[in-house]
Amino acid sequence: MTDRVDSDIEIPQTVFIVDDDPAICESLCDLIESAGLPTRKFSSAEEFLEICTPDLAGCLVLDVRLPGMNGMELQNKLVRSGLATPIIIMTAHGDIPMVRNAMKAGAVEFLTKPFQDEELLSAIEHSFALDRSQRSARRLERSIQKRWSTLSERERQVLEYVTAGMLNKQIADRLNLSLITVKLYRRQVMDKMEADSLAELVKMWEKIKSPENSRLSAP
Amino acid sequence: MAYPFVFLFFGAIMCSAWFGGFIAGSLAVVMSSAAIDYFFVPPFYSMTIGREFRSYVAAFVICAIAITAVSSARKKSETAVKVARDQLEIRVEERTAELQRSNSEILARERQLRELTEAIPQQIWRTDRRGCIEYFNRNLSDYLGREVRDLGDEAFWSILHPEDAPLFAQAWEAARANGTSFEVKSRVRGSEDSYRWFLIRGNPQIGAGEEIVCWYGVHIDIEEQQHTQQALLISQENLSRLSRTMSMAEMAASIAHELNQPLTALVADSHACRRWLNSEPVNMQRAIATTERIVRECTRASAVVSRVRSLFTRSEYVREPTDLNRLIRDLVRLMRDDAIRRNVSIRLSLAENLPRLELDPVQIQQVLLNLATNGMDAMEGSNCARDLEISSEMSAADEVTVTVKDTGTGFEEENKAKVFEPFFSTKPAGTGMGLSICRSIIEAHQGRIWAENLPRGAAFHFTLGSNT
Repeated sequence: MTDRVDSDIEIPQTVFIVDDDPAICESLCDLIESAGLPTRKFSSAEEFLEICTPDLAGCLVLDVRLPGMNGMELQNKLVRSGLATPIIIMTAHGDIPMVRNAMKAGAVEFLTKPFQDEELLSAIEHSFALDRSQRSARRLERSIQKRWSTLSERERQVLEYVTAGMLNKQIADRLNLSLITVKLYRRQVMDKMEADSLAELVKMWEKIKSPENSRLSAP
Repeated sequence: MAYPFVFLFFGAIMCSAWFGGFIAGSLAVVMSSAAIDYFFVPPFYSMTIGREFRSYVAAFVICAIAITAVSSARKKSETAVKVARDQLEIRVEERTAELQRSNSEILARERQLRELTEAIPQQIWRTDRRGCIEYFNRNLSDYLGREVRDLGDEAFWSILHPEDAPLFAQAWEAARANGTSFEVKSRVRGSEDSYRWFLIRGNPQIGAGEEIVCWYGVHIDIEEQQHTQQALLISQENLSRLSRTMSMAEMAASIAHELNQPLTALVADSHACRRWLNSEPVNMQRAIATTERIVRECTRASAVVSRVRSLFTRSEYVREPTDLNRLIRDLVRLMRDDAIRRNVSIRLSLAENLPRLELDPVQIQQVLLNLATNGMDAMEGSNCARDLEISSEMSAADEVTVTVKDTGTGFEEENKAKVFEPFFSTKPAGTGMGLSICRSIIEAHQGRIWAENLPRGAAFHFTLGSNT
């Protein structure tokens, strides 16, 4: 199932480099391109924010010391706006509190300049994998939500009771329906949700439930 | 022929002239002459005059005219005298009134002036031309807690702080010798035996003959100002100490960053280059582009290094003949405020007739300043007397030794050799550079510098050759 969704929409991942030193930008691009990965470079956080969209595929290689908005501020801004693109932070002097804050805010890796090619490339590889799985999870979530929205009120009730482990008879009792009707609804729910088994349906229900819950409790 | 009545006519004429004036007198003369001629000169009851009586009548007329003239003139002059006397009296009265008025005006003005001097918040005194106190305003006597009469010439010095009194005396003597005004900052003891800072300003009052009549003085309370200034100095010092340490750390960070940037690019480039060369097929074009960047970054790194080096290279070589004692005195003057604030008394013991030395005055003053500051730092928090002594002496035929001695905590005997090493410091905020800089300056002057532990405190000596 997951594979099916994934293979559908695989867009190429890019390494976004943000550093105010043009020489470093160029060298990093060169190094990353030598590993066969596409790159884009930016000389400031503001410049990067201009092209930044929620569907960004790839990862960010970010210098801490930047003119204007610094690297940590950019990271916080991205996290706040819900952009989950993995971030690799670079710094000239890795002081501990800064490393801790960056890691807490979700940085994948923290590199102290100068660093070896393997450190950077493996961090990028790791970030790409993370980005891929995050995006596919997001896509899956979206498609389940979409299927869920096609269900009627009655079907949703049946789905809820089924995933709660109730027997058809109990559901019929609860909803004041005949056993045949409940079975019919159940069949329809399985079809609409494209679930092959009860176990899969339960998993989907968890996914529907959790964002819904969080959406309810958010405000 | 003598008619005694005729004399009665004279009396009447005299009275007419006296009271009526010359014209009335003349009228009386004419009328009496006619009457005599008519009644008393024969032939009687006729206006004709007998020949033998003509002289008689003429004598009468002449006498009468004379009497009239004399009497009226006399009367006139007497009236004139009277008028003059009256006028004089009026003038005298007027002048008296005027005098009284101006007198009271002067009194009022004097009272106003006195009230003014009493009212102004400053303290005012006046001395005679020799400098003996004559007058205080109330403000000053209130502050001192005594009156002018209690304060003789000697006692005047006792109101000044013993440390400031010599400075005041010096300025006062100079002002009196030259007849110029003077201005001194000094602490003055109040009635409660506490001292406050005052700005004492004195001005001579010059008389018409260019001689000094008296001295006026004003004391302006600058205690608050002095406090603020000291607070400012303290914060300035903290700031400069902070900035000194900060700038060291910051400079290091900035150098590290400056070097790190090209190094980062270099490492990345080298890796990239190797990867291009290792790739299948070999990407020569990219490898060459990368190598070119490597060359560029190397150049950049070396430019950073030479910039850093130029930052630390010493400024040019200066040697000029200098009066070392004057250098020391200048420094002490600079440090006076600081010393007072830190409760340190500075004593000088300078050998006279030192030869002029060839040296860099700025650098040597830097050494003196570092040593003196170190000494004062060492006495910080000490409860004993804080004395800093700076002395100079001829220690050999061609060598001068300067000693800076303090009564502070001294140093550990095992640190004796280490104190001049860079980055060695026992002070919490010390950079450990002060004495190290001193040593390199003195050695550049072909001199020696060493430390000595005293029973109480420490002494730092340095030598300077007279022919360097």
